[in-house]
Amino acid sequence: MTAAPRMRALGAVAALAVLPWLTGNAFLQHMMVLWAIYALLALSLNIIVGYLGELSFGHAAFFGIGAYTSALLSMQWGVPVWLGPFLGAIVAGAFGLVIGFVALRIVGPQFAILTLGFGAILHTITNYWVDLTRGPMGISNIPPFSLGPIALDFAQARNMYYVALVFLLGVAYVCHALMTSRRGRAFIAVRENPALAASIGIDVFATKLHGFVVATAIAGAGGALYGHYLRVITPELMSLQYVAALIIMVIVGGKGTIVGPLIGALVYVSLLEMLRAAGPLRLVVFAALLTACVIFLPGGLVSLWRRLRERRLAPEPAGASA
Amino acid sequence: MDSDVFAQLVVFTQQVANGLANGMGYVLIAVGLTLVFGVLRIVNFAHGEFYMLGAYFTYYVTALAGIDYLGALVLATLAVAAIGIVANQFFFRPLRKEHEFTILLSSLGLALLMANGAEYVFGADPKYVPTRYADETLEIGPVVVTQQRVLVIAVAFAMIAATYWFIRHTRMGKMMQATAQNPEGAQLTGINTGFVHAYTFAFACGLAALSGALVGPTAMLTHTVGDWAVLKGFIVVVMGGLGSVTGALFGGILLGVAESLGGGYVSLGFKDAIGYAIIILVLLWRPQGLFSAGSGRR
Amino acid sequence: MITRRTFGLSAGALALGATAGKALAQDKSAVRIAAIAPLSGAGAFDGQLAVEGMQAMAAVINGKGGVLGGRKIELVTYDDKGVPEEGVSAAKRALEQDKVDLIVGGWFSAVALAQKEVTRDKIINVMTSSQHPKVTEEGHKYLFRLNATSTMMSDRYAKFICEKMKLKSVAFITINDDYGRLEVENYRKLLGACNIEVKGNEFYNRNDTDFTTALTKLRSLNSDAIYVSAINTSQGATIYRQIRQSGYKGTIIASAGNMNPKLVELSGPALEGVYCVSLFAPDTDNASAKAWMAQYGKMFKNEPSFIGSLGAQAVEVLAGAMDKAGGAREYDKIAAAMKGQPWKTLLGEITFDGKGQALQNIYLIQVKNKKIVSAS
Repeated sequence: MTAAPRMRALGAVAALAVLPWLTGNAFLQHMMVLWAIYALLALSLNIIVGYLGELSFGHAAFFGIGAYTSALLSMQWGVPVWLGPFLGAIVAGAFGLVIGFVALRIVGPQFAILTLGFGAILHTITNYWVDLTRGPMGISNIPPFSLGPIALDFAQARNMYYVALVFLLGVAYVCHALMTSRRGRAFIAVRENPALAASIGIDVFATKLHGFVVATAIAGAGGALYGHYLRVITPELMSLQYVAALIIMVIVGGKGTIVGPLIGALVYVSLLEMLRAAGPLRLVVFAALLTACVIFLPGGLVSLWRRLRERRLAPEPAGASA
Repeated sequence: MDSDVFAQLVVFTQQVANGLANGMGYVLIAVGLTLVFGVLRIVNFAHGEFYMLGAYFTYYVTALAGIDYLGALVLATLAVAAIGIVANQFFFRPLRKEHEFTILLSSLGLALLMANGAEYVFGADPKYVPTRYADETLEIGPVVVTQQRVLVIAVAFAMIAATYWFIRHTRMGKMMQATAQNPEGAQLTGINTGFVHAYTFAFACGLAALSGALVGPTAMLTHTVGDWAVLKGFIVVVMGGLGSVTGALFGGILLGVAESLGGGYVSLGFKDAIGYAIIILVLLWRPQGLFSAGSGRR
Repeated sequence: MITRRTFGLSAGALALGATAGKALAQDKSAVRIAAIAPLSGAGAFDGQLAVEGMQAMAAVINGKGGVLGGRKIELVTYDDKGVPEEGVSAAKRALEQDKVDLIVGGWFSAVALAQKEVTRDKIINVMTSSQHPKVTEEGHKYLFRLNATSTMMSDRYAKFICEKMKLKSVAFITINDDYGRLEVENYRKLLGACNIEVKGNEFYNRNDTDFTTALTKLRSLNSDAIYVSAINTSQGATIYRQIRQSGYKGTIIASAGNMNPKLVELSGPALEGVYCVSLFAPDTDNASAKAWMAQYGKMFKNEPSFIGSLGAQAVEVLAGAMDKAGGAREYDKIAAAMKGQPWKTLLGEITFDGKGQALQNIYLIQVKNKKIVSAS
């Protein structure tokens, strides 16, 4: 990282840190928390979509597994809430390991549909294993994060925002570090040309599995954050609605970059909220904007910025990741 | 004891009959989906929305314009096929050179647009597509099937046969095959692949609409039926092999009967998961599909 | 008067309008009631009926001069998609961003259970159609629920089924959620007690559209009746039709509280003669109900339904309690007023117990010649 991007990154972190103090409005702060959690999830899906070059339609299931793991452990066995995101990540990552081990042997549309199948089965099990998950009724009254001695209430959006932000920045940093490492270059090689990657000694399957497990574990952590914040979860978390939402965030923002999914999550959360003004046309307008964005900006919103920059500094080639 | 065995046999036969009727509905949905994948290389998430449109159009033409159900069905099919041409022109044609995820997302966007647009235009209230066959039953001994379901089965068989013949024996069918196998090569031999794409897409949308018009009256119609239709379609297409018409036929029947027997004898709650379980097994064992000769590992 | 256009008005735009309004005339600004209901997804139609019911009642009250000496009632609608987490977000938005005066919501039990924690002790929250006992079990001080609990409904209905329907056996087809599970549990006990044999039960899911597999199993049990536990209008109609299409000739018993004109229209001959218990009988001679139905007919093309009548009752009771308390935000006084006296409403006279649970009149109704009428 050269000096200028580092300054930019620090500036962005500082801006994100003061953000909730710019408004006293608890609802806007609530939106910020949702953004941070969705951004975390979008970043995790981006590892599969943007770095490995495969499309997963089962990602919401791992989100749900993390949420249920953490909620159930804290409520039934009294496991400290703060361990939730880590345990959620471990369990979701374990599922990711098994499912990835099976599914990653296949590529392309078949892989996408295979993950759709695994996701749907996990969704169905969550829906029907009533003794464990309370089925479609969901789990409510999940304990929020709390810091006893300091008496911080993390059901408060402003406080929770910082918890989510720490996780988000951590994951963003991991993604950045990963992509500048040898392993990251292996990811790109596997995405661009698996046969060539294999010929230069990269274990394509192991590389993909590695990425898949990291992505699902992060999704699990995101699920735990979501559950302890909203304090209610249902099997709907694993539904196609959330799958579609995450895919939209990654692709509209710009896959294969770190800034892209963050922007995608911001657009998703804020646009849907702003479009309430459109009344019954809300989702119609949303879908129209989304489709227009896909057709006119296939590289996502980040490509807009890159296009502008290229126009200004024509000779300098654009980097692979932001 | 004997009567008990007989009763069990009746239930079993009835479940198979239910499964066959549902399965043939799935076949009708899947044929178009598999053609679009085979020829245009698009995983079309909006396919179910054309099913939804077909059902709504049939409803409006019969319930409001007072045209007979069978006539309405034909009108709806043609109208939706025409809409398919427009959809292809705006949502897929400009993206031909783009990454497959982009095209897929465009279809997802189109699906959201159509489903939510339908709620806005047609209203949230459920509708019932009136046909005189829906409540009339056909009783073969103790096994009961509605005439509507018999109609679904018959039309599905006829359409599969017609589609198969069309692809094998007409000029357009052969151009579709050539485009599916090698788009660049087809273009070099003078085939207008853009036209073939538009034709195939419209054909598939028409089939989706036809299935909506036929299967729609077996349940209430809401703007959300498209989700259901496209998911069933995907499962069948993967089972039968992406791009394979005969595969769709066997895949559909297999899914319908497996759901019906699995729901009847194993667990009703997991009925929807049965299809997914089958495709996981199929993809791991034969990624090219159960009934397809071609290679799936592209 | 509230028209269809205001129905679609954004919460955001309303918030702006409200700030502007405050500067002009504090006392004459509208009382804003949040209507949180499923307006998209599988429950969209039922949510629409609910909100329409509220709007018609608000229009009736506004037509008579409004509340609190001339303030109009204004509804701010929110979509909860029938999903708990969306219900939580909607309630947060109503409370924190739009700063509404009162909240009406909780059409589905799962949503109500989640939502009540957000609004707890902060704002008056009237839950409507959710039937789960836990909604009012803890008795939060500002929380009320209108619908009879499923226990109250099934007690009444089971009495009728046992005494009048002359059944020897029954089978259930039940929605797999809190509501359905509780219902089938209640009836197993109640019907078992009067020697009606429960021959079986099949659960179905919220998104199912084909019930032939379940119905084939139920038909083979040869029970005298099939009890259909369904809340969703579209699924209900599909089940009623498919029961007859499956060749079942026995009696159909309709789930308590789900009967509405749309369901009757969609189900066709399958519902003819079928009984149901409900809080709302459309052929009532209650004056408030008549005014509401007339207003409803002027404003909407749907017909007034049970679920709409509950929404209307929420608005009606809140309006009365506000007048008594002397303010839209005097929550302690409003809560005390609601619990302190019987209320004359469009569904007859009701009272609230100490935990905010309404004690309603439960009517037996029947579908006759495609109309819902009172039965005895």
